[in-house]
Amino acid sequence: MIEPVLDVRDLRTYLKTPRGTAWAVDGVSFTLASGKTRALVGESGCGKSMVALSIVQLLPEPAGFVDSGQVLLEGNDLLDLTWNEMRAHRGRDLAMIFQEPMTSLNPVFTIGNQVAEAVAAHGGSKSHARRRALELLERVGIEAPERVHGQYPHELSGGMRQRAMIAMALANRPKVLIADEPTTALDVTVQAQILALIREIQDEMGMAVLLITHDLGVVAEMADDVSVMYAGHVVESGPVRAIFHHPQHPYTRDLLESLPSRQSRGRDLAVIEGVVPGATDWPTGCRYASRCRFRVDACEASGPPMIARDAAEVRCIRVDAIAQSEATR
Amino acid sequence: MSPVLKVENLRKEFRARGGLLKSSPPHVAVHDVSFEVEQGQTLALVGESGSGKSTVALMALGLLQPTSGRVLFQGRSLISIRWRERLALRRNIQVVFQDPYGSLNARMTVRETLTEGMIIHGIGASATDRDARARELLADVNMPAEALDRYPHEFSGGQRQRVAIARALSVEPTFMVLDEPTSALDVSVQSQVLNLLRKLQREHGLSFLFITHNLAVVEYMADFVCVMKEGRIVERGNVEKIFDAPAHEYTRRLLRSIPSTDPDARRLDSRIARSWS
Repeated sequence: MIEPVLDVRDLRTYLKTPRGTAWAVDGVSFTLASGKTRALVGESGCGKSMVALSIVQLLPEPAGFVDSGQVLLEGNDLLDLTWNEMRAHRGRDLAMIFQEPMTSLNPVFTIGNQVAEAVAAHGGSKSHARRRALELLERVGIEAPERVHGQYPHELSGGMRQRAMIAMALANRPKVLIADEPTTALDVTVQAQILALIREIQDEMGMAVLLITHDLGVVAEMADDVSVMYAGHVVESGPVRAIFHHPQHPYTRDLLESLPSRQSRGRDLAVIEGVVPGATDWPTGCRYASRCRFRVDACEASGPPMIARDAAEVRCIRVDAIAQSEATR
Repeated sequence: MSPVLKVENLRKEFRARGGLLKSSPPHVAVHDVSFEVEQGQTLALVGESGSGKSTVALMALGLLQPTSGRVLFQGRSLISIRWRERLALRRNIQVVFQDPYGSLNARMTVRETLTEGMIIHGIGASATDRDARARELLADVNMPAEALDRYPHEFSGGQRQRVAIARALSVEPTFMVLDEPTSALDVSVQSQVLNLLRKLQREHGLSFLFITHNLAVVEYMADFVCVMKEGRIVERGNVEKIFDAPAHEYTRRLLRSIPSTDPDARRLDSRIARSWS
């Protein structure tokens, strides 16, 4: 097996809140291979963004802490590094883009300035940084890089700003790109361009992409592997085809069935009754049990382990029973 | 069958902010838009940001005066109508906005939110009567009666959106403008809201003007579709025609951009990365 470039093991991250300690990420594991894309998918509050922020160690201060686990980048545990050592990795081996480029770009510096800064942060002369910034702007499909180089973030459209963010992220040819809802704020035609751009650059540079999104369409388009998150856990993980064509965890099934489509016209869509339990007080047993149509008493007795089934791993003790009842139906 | 809402040659110009002595040409947000919404049907107005779809919605609601053109509700013009009649007409036209955080009054309990419109329009003989109706409305949108004495901040986004829908229903409208009603919601919550809207349409014969950028929702909900771009309707037709045989290049581009939910039928390729930049 190829050594993964990023290997996250049993990551646990908490937030101190007025209501107590919230275990936002509660034992998350996954691997990411060079040149591949893994999607972390889930609904608001499932902990997917906290996983990303734990990896790059940019958790909200002073509330967020990584409690335990390992984040291995080519075998080295990032959680053992000092702040300064981590800074050297960030932007060089590990880059991140966010949902709203307007809030991640500095409004008072030009685009060129900011891209050049990202280049220079890891060495090189000023003139080299400027040349490289122009190259990068061109590479991300900005038509007039010379002009955009001198413009300020507010002068660009959302799609152009996201391209500029990607240019900054690519400045040092990172091994891993973490993209947290990179197209959620964009129109659908612009989203299509940005996703295609990310894929093209990934093929060219062979970087690994950790794609964090709530959009199942984006996942189906982009991912090689998928980890479905619910309530701080990964509940199902596997190759993208297995997840979409043969979802096994009840939550994954419900989520896919809740999508509106032509086929479901005139019929009610699947709904997930109830709400996600609170992160300050996770239930002892399966966290989806209170909303699950396959629930039995044993589900609530203790937390279900990840079980390997077919190509995937599923956190559900009923997985075989559900498959059987479906086969006989 | 006569249409519930008829929009004729709507045009909206916004004066660009110029300097003291400069005068710049006005920005035309909506050019010559016409369409009809039939009783009990859903017309979707689809477009990307800046296409003018929400400006059209505001004019259809009578909340924004068109520069020219007419909005006819049950054959009567929203603009030239007298105030007295306008109140009665307003009761028939209700709206649900995208943001359930911004569209509910944070200082009003759900009870106050749901009964305010009834009081204005003289629905219900007494406070007890209105209260009973408010309870029915909550049941209609699958919310418990305990919600009555609670404030918006106590609810999730999906619950708030259901309260906003209940408020719209409180005055027994015949026509509803839904401006991105599920865009701020998670998919599992979106499905609840869409199911609810379809149920209400079936039971009350409501007509919907559904404004959205989400084409999957359009394909699921709409009977008729108008595609807007830069203030104009570039293509219109029933939902099958738009999705199966789009004629306008922009409609085709929109459809090609929707991510597929089948990993074996991926649509986005690298040609897209550069083609429209």
